[in-house]
Amino acid sequence: MTPTDDAIVFRGLHKTFGRGNERVKVLDGVDLSVQRGQFVTVIGPSGCGKTTLLRLAAGLVEPDAGSVSLFGASVADATAEKRIGFVPQAPALLPWRTVLDNVLLPLQVNRKVPSSKAAPDAVELLTALGLGDALQRRPRELSGGMQQRVAIARAFVFDPPVLLMDEPFAAVDELTRESLRHSLLTIWQASGKTVLFVTHSVTEAVALSDVVVVMSANTHGIQRVIPIDLPRPRDDLVETTPEFLALERELRLELRKGSK
Amino acid sequence: MSRKPLRIGAWLPPAIALAVFVLLWQLYADHHPYVAPKLSKVLSELDSHPRLFARNAWTTLEEALVGAGAGMGVAFALALVMFYVRVIERALLPLAVVLNVTPLVAIAPALVVAFGFGMTPKYVIASLLVFFPFLVNALAGLRDVDPEALDLVATLHASRAEVLWRLRLPSSLPYLFAAGRICMPLSLVGAVVAEFVAAGEAKGLGTLVVTAASLGDLGTVYAAVVVLAVLGVAMFGAVVALQRLVLGRYRPSVGARRG
Repeated sequence: MTPTDDAIVFRGLHKTFGRGNERVKVLDGVDLSVQRGQFVTVIGPSGCGKTTLLRLAAGLVEPDAGSVSLFGASVADATAEKRIGFVPQAPALLPWRTVLDNVLLPLQVNRKVPSSKAAPDAVELLTALGLGDALQRRPRELSGGMQQRVAIARAFVFDPPVLLMDEPFAAVDELTRESLRHSLLTIWQASGKTVLFVTHSVTEAVALSDVVVVMSANTHGIQRVIPIDLPRPRDDLVETTPEFLALERELRLELRKGSK
Repeated sequence: MSRKPLRIGAWLPPAIALAVFVLLWQLYADHHPYVAPKLSKVLSELDSHPRLFARNAWTTLEEALVGAGAGMGVAFALALVMFYVRVIERALLPLAVVLNVTPLVAIAPALVVAFGFGMTPKYVIASLLVFFPFLVNALAGLRDVDPEALDLVATLHASRAEVLWRLRLPSSLPYLFAAGRICMPLSLVGAVVAEFVAAGEAKGLGTLVVTAASLGDLGTVYAAVVVLAVLGVAMFGAVVALQRLVLGRYRPSVGARRG
């Protein structure tokens, strides 16, 4: 494997929050490589540092020690060149903008970066996500699941090679999660993007990923990396196969070991 | 925008309260004509000298509007500077608080000495009165931005100017309108107070009140007060109307439901 096959590389990461007696260790020596085009999910109990790992890759947090690189460049360079599509926990839509204008926001800031020729059309993207009728609506008129679809469209619209997703489906109900999962898989598969996805849902991790990274709240590091060798494209039926259920069980047992 | 017609429960209580107030006033005025003029006399003052009231109302309105515009403009500019340069906020905010708690009526005579008897001291006093509430609200508005939206534009390497234009200014608008609803009527207070102290120009409703009161002409005094009340309501209403127009976008459109 050549080094350029690695899209995201975390090396020797340490991170502590707070000062004095209130210092909380979050990451303690994390090394991880995410290959280009892979869908990698980070899962673990609360306080294991999974969201911090993602925020380090997004440049929203600085490490105490260690480094993060995206396609061999620094995180600062990656953001300057708009190579990161970020999907936060809450959809973070601007209430005064329509659905379509919210999706177009990434194209309107940092315009020094030329827009990608392969960038999808915003209207087509929203239509593919089932929001074709809602283009001129305001975010408040949408359900939580629909808002999250808008946030996904906003991350795809400028065609970044990397997607960083921070528990994006955590706030919606189970049925909506399922449908969001499949929408995401459909548009991701056609895009070839590298995805780092943080979740605490075992089903979500197995259904979406090529690789699941289990983090531990005891060691504040990576406990195990589990490859998910399920065929793609995956549909909802895959979630009922014995292989899927076996992987779910394996992951669940692993998580139990890592909780405090 | 879907607005329900005003229900009887909404307008009847204040209408009854107003009618009772008018009745009590009239009863009192019948026996104490030198304390409270009859309402009919107040109305006839307005009716017989419409030009006098219109001319003076225009002067006071101009003082209030220019003062409010200048005060809010300077306050917003300073809020921007304070927001981006923390040390300036630390240096100047305590001074602004002192200015806010100082009774401006006390400064007014000094301002007249400084700026003469023209319009300038009126503008200055009206603008000083609106300065602090607008400054504080503008600062709060610039700060109150969805942190996750800030994270999002940070990952896109948005410039400070882009964050200001695309996120902070739109987020601060509800605060600015709330401040405007306070500041517009307040500027009217400033203009009238300034006229009390510096009546040299012999114009404005405040001047009219002082002059008429010294002559014992209570009908004119209360007629001027009625005009001032109407001006205050109109200025407040104008801000609310503008707010509906601008911030209507923040709310769902007609027929919308939350999913």
